[in-house]
Amino acid sequence: MDAPLGKLLPFYLVVDVSYSMMGKKLDAANQMMPAVVDALAQAPILSDKVRFGLIDFSDQAQVRLPLCDPLDENVSLPALSLRGGTSYAAAFRLLRTEIEQNVRQLKADGFAVHRPAVFFLSDGAPTDKEPEWRAAFSELTSFDKQTGQGFSMYPNVVPCGVDDAEPTVLRSLIHPSSGAKQMQMYLMDKGEDAAKAIGMIAEILISSVLASGESIAKGGSGLMLPAKEDLPAGIHAYAADDEDFV
Amino acid sequence: MAGTPGSSPDTAAVDAPRHAATLETPEWRGDFTPYVVGDPGRAVSRVRPAYVPAHPHRPDSIIDGIVVNGPDGAPSATVRAASVRGLSHRHYARVRQDDYALRVTPDARYLVVCVADGVSSGELSHLAAWWAVHEGTDELRRLLARTRPDELPWPSFLAWVADLIVKQAGDHVEGVGSDPREVAGHMATALTYAVMELEGEERAVHLLTVGDTSGWILGRDGGWRPQQPVKNADVDIHSSAVSALPVLSATPRPVRTSVAPGEALVLMTDGIGDPLGNGSGAVGRFLASSWAEPPADLEFAAQVGFARRSFDDDRTAVAIWPAHR
Repeated sequence: MDAPLGKLLPFYLVVDVSYSMMGKKLDAANQMMPAVVDALAQAPILSDKVRFGLIDFSDQAQVRLPLCDPLDENVSLPALSLRGGTSYAAAFRLLRTEIEQNVRQLKADGFAVHRPAVFFLSDGAPTDKEPEWRAAFSELTSFDKQTGQGFSMYPNVVPCGVDDAEPTVLRSLIHPSSGAKQMQMYLMDKGEDAAKAIGMIAEILISSVLASGESIAKGGSGLMLPAKEDLPAGIHAYAADDEDFV
Repeated sequence: MAGTPGSSPDTAAVDAPRHAATLETPEWRGDFTPYVVGDPGRAVSRVRPAYVPAHPHRPDSIIDGIVVNGPDGAPSATVRAASVRGLSHRHYARVRQDDYALRVTPDARYLVVCVADGVSSGELSHLAAWWAVHEGTDELRRLLARTRPDELPWPSFLAWVADLIVKQAGDHVEGVGSDPREVAGHMATALTYAVMELEGEERAVHLLTVGDTSGWILGRDGGWRPQQPVKNADVDIHSSAVSALPVLSATPRPVRTSVAPGEALVLMTDGIGDPLGNGSGAVGRFLASSWAEPPADLEFAAQVGFARRSFDDDRTAVAIWPAHR
């Protein structure tokens, strides 16, 4: 990089829009990005760095908001609408393509780019075959630093589940799952209201974004997740090696 | 805005003849416009710099502007230095963790400089930076009383600085042990030391860097010549991982270079180094043109504090212009 134009922190929100999300859950999901924008408007250090993208998925995945500065006055937030099934593979493949294109473009434009973060929200189990979504997830997240094999721009992935999302499946999507920078997942407690839980996940997303900004001020470069004790009631956080949700 | 301070008398006389009587000897003059390179971002206008209750003695910014004489008593170098708290630390109510210090040996043969960048993850890294610049330059000054700069024992000197940070940490962090890695969790600092001759035309310079602070020669042509590999060159994902004292990994090698009249030796922390990159962009051109000659000291600090979107780290630069001898 000759002389960077700025340092950016990309976030992707990936939302399940299968038919089971109908009603209040979809309404709650549609409130996530506006809540992010409101929070960023009050965070001048962060809003200079954060880029947000929104992807939804059912049988196919779609980029609903291309990675952008969400406070840019030319940006209008999309309204999510429902479609068919729940293809995790489609979401992961599109994410891989998007991240690669976005990071390459930002770097070509002269920006230094921090590792992207993905918040992945689902209310059900994948409808595609397990080997298929596992292969797509591996394409998205595998990287060997020594050999340079794999996807060097792999994101940090934070799975979030409500209603019928499968805990063991979501747990396998935590990335990195171990080490100093390990992520975690957020699950709605059984019997909780799913729309309310999505609102809480939006809060977690926002506090992660804000904490990441402060973390950069404190020398970190990665995504900061809220401490377990700071979570709203009705949601719990789990690490990849937690056994206590089964 | 005719007749306001700073407008030229010629223009003002045409625009506002009523004030003509007072224009010849204005009561005051001067103007200040903050420096901006490209998009200034939102933070520069919206951040309200916060007071830090835990460290009220720590200045937000420090500035020096001096002329250093050589052994013959004649001016040998002009120095400008500024360490400015970053927007991010101002916003999140944290102290400036950068620091610098200047020393001249008693025989006036050498100028000793250090810039340090306290590692942000340590709550007390500004103390490590403070000891590294002040105690470190004092020790180099002592060593130079009996050692030529090219024979300085850099490895044992760095070990001495690391040891000093570990020992001092014991007085400030309750229960901290003597393991440098444990201390580094509370305080650590990247740093660059420089020793420059104050005699002759072409001045020998010895540089030693630990971590992501850096030394540069600003050439007569306005080109920036890095004296170490440029950080984060050719990587896909930006990283802010750094090596820092008191942890000594590989012993860094001193760099020997030289600086001549018409050029400048510039030491900086990554708060400037990151936006400067390899010096070929707008920030490089801005600073090269601003520092072709020594600016006024306050102006130098304002230039160090230029606004550029997303570059909100502490900034420190020490620039030295050798005089013709």
